[in-house]
Amino acid sequence: MVEDNHNITLWGEDIPWLFGLREKGRQTTKAIGLPNAKTEAWKYSHFAPTILDTYHIDTTPHHCDENCHCHDEKASTPFAAYYIKFCNGKLANEHFDLPAGVTIKSLVEAIFDGDAKAYLGKSFDLEKFPFAALNTAYLEQGVMLTVERGTVLDRPILLHYHQHYGTPQINHLRNIFVLENRSKATIIEYFTAESNAEYFNNLVNEIYVREAAQLQHYVWQNEAVAARHVALTSVEVRKDGTYNCFCAQSECVLARHESYIRLQQEGAAAEVNGVYRLMHSGVSDITTNIAHLAPHTVSNQLVKGVVGGAAKGVFQGQIHIAPDAQQTEGYQLHRALILSDDAEVDAKPELEIFADDVKCSHGNTCGDLDAEQLFYMQSRGIDLETAKQLLIEAHINEAFEKINDNNVKTWLKKNF
Amino acid sequence: MVLLKIENLTAGVAQKEIIKNFSLTINAGEVHAIMGPNGAGKSTLSYVLAGKSDYEVTSGKAWLNGQDLLQMKPEERANAGLFLSMQYPVAIPGVSVSNFLKHAVNAKRKYAGLPELDAAEFLKLLRSAAKELGISAEMLKREINVGFSGGEKKRMEILQMSLLKPQLAILDEADSGLDIDALRVVAEGVNKLRTADNALLIITHHNDLLDLIKPDFVHIYADGHIVRSGDANLALELEQSGYKSFLEEV
Ligand SMILES: Nc1ncnc2c1ncn2[C@@H]1O[C@H](COP(=O)(O)OP(=O)(O)OP(=O)(O)O)[C@@H](O)[C@H]1O
Ligand SMILES: [Mg+2]
Repeated sequence: MVEDNHNITLWGEDIPWLFGLREKGRQTTKAIGLPNAKTEAWKYSHFAPTILDTYHIDTTPHHCDENCHCHDEKASTPFAAYYIKFCNGKLANEHFDLPAGVTIKSLVEAIFDGDAKAYLGKSFDLEKFPFAALNTAYLEQGVMLTVERGTVLDRPILLHYHQHYGTPQINHLRNIFVLENRSKATIIEYFTAESNAEYFNNLVNEIYVREAAQLQHYVWQNEAVAARHVALTSVEVRKDGTYNCFCAQSECVLARHESYIRLQQEGAAAEVNGVYRLMHSGVSDITTNIAHLAPHTVSNQLVKGVVGGAAKGVFQGQIHIAPDAQQTEGYQLHRALILSDDAEVDAKPELEIFADDVKCSHGNTCGDLDAEQLFYMQSRGIDLETAKQLLIEAHINEAFEKINDNNVKTWLKKNF
Repeated sequence: MVLLKIENLTAGVAQKEIIKNFSLTINAGEVHAIMGPNGAGKSTLSYVLAGKSDYEVTSGKAWLNGQDLLQMKPEERANAGLFLSMQYPVAIPGVSVSNFLKHAVNAKRKYAGLPELDAAEFLKLLRSAAKELGISAEMLKREINVGFSGGEKKRMEILQMSLLKPQLAILDEADSGLDIDALRVVAEGVNKLRTADNALLIITHHNDLLDLIKPDFVHIYADGHIVRSGDANLALELEQSGYKSFLEEV
């Protein structure tokens, strides 16, 4: 896997700290390997390491033809946004029409300019995250986004990642988002592909939410059915800052959205909400680790899932409350519908509470559609299939209601 | 014209026989009332007729407009003109009253070969029907039956009935939990539906609703079947004597 790819050349191997960081990624990957059945955080969604051998890393520049979505401004969403486009794991545009107070650079440029060094690999320990370690060994593609103090963005920033059909490819993508004090932004990450594409997106976001800054982060993993997607979003939230995430996962072989969130200072708040719906054979995994490290911090999670066929849904939610994090609140709720005998849901809530003055709760329910509700609808002339769809929609919609941005809510509800 | 014919129906739930050799014929234009003690099986009868799947028919037959009712799916029965106002209407979190009813109304229209109503057309229809029943527009936006009071649920059942315009409506304790005004509203709703082509089967414990509706027939139901039938006066007689004397007859 890592060793096999000596022949590839990455940008900036002559920059000592960058080389050192990648080397650390390589060494960590060698030391800890890929997750297996014994890796607690991957208990339900690990896969044979040999599968990675089926993907290659492409370091050649990507040239797509003019019909590719990345040349079409409005191809992504029905509402206006600042577009950042990736095509086959490569940043496809480098000019962004941005208002004052916002900068977006390719990761390479941000490294070259010296902006990235203070943030790259600083928000988590590689040892805990095998795929992030691998990502670090190959880091090159991605963007750094900075929203300056007090800047409030008028439209969302949309990162649209698209994959074409071709030789199975693994994309190691790495982004840094920095929201300086009192800034406000909405970031949407949208993943699409040609329907028959086979690929592996291995993504790491490092997000820094500074004092009283607010980030709305929306992710739709609308990958091809044969795709794998593993993402780590590592977030630091400072005083009175807010990080709100919503993740939607559609059918694919594996979709994992892992949030690693540190509420570092008083008044910091985070939400991770999401929906997944898999009706065939894929695995959907939402894993969260939220650490309350200071008093008066709040976290909320609501994840609603639907599995049918032989699909599997995984929800792992860790809430950690540090000894001096008094008067904190941490809530977590996962509800899944299991629509067939072969479908499976694994849920693992973990609360580690070391403070005494806290409000904390977690809940988890899994079950079939309610027979009484179905009959009630049928008795009003609604056919069984439609009745089921209505109940499934109702189930999922509860989570969609957590989306603050109305454009995004409408777009996702309509297209998910 | 015979609308509903039930012949020697025996049915139950959870291995328990509840309806025993039950027969009843309802013609178009008629209003029938069924009264009977708690636990006698009145709601069970209504569920069996509406097609609830956990209820099992062991023998007997039933026809709606000549169609073999027991072979039909619940939604087919509804679209063919049957409506059941439930004793305990079901709450469906996440589904609004208006969305629910739009699906129901359009399902029926589709079945009848009519074009489906768009949102604007439907909402107009819904709002005027709701207004007649004293249901606020706010209520229509709420999740159906979620947190509704007993009376609000019953009004909602009547609203559904008035929109779906069934040929045969079974009202299972549509009057329970209603205040005096609501009772009048329900009775008006019922009377509006009362035409030469339609029929109603009213299950109730109280004469108040029957006073307002004036049924053509009253049946006393006990131990799984009708033990005595008569006209509206039977309900008054029952009020005086209680079930005891009727049960002893059998
Ligand atoms: N799902 C079930 N499982 C077991 N017993 C049931 C079930 N449903 C109904 N029963 C029983 O069948 C009998 C008839 O119930 P049903 O609800 O039809 O009575 P009812 O005549 O409508 O009474 P009420 O006047 O109180 O509404 C009762 O003894 C009840 O407990
Ligand atoms: Mg009853």
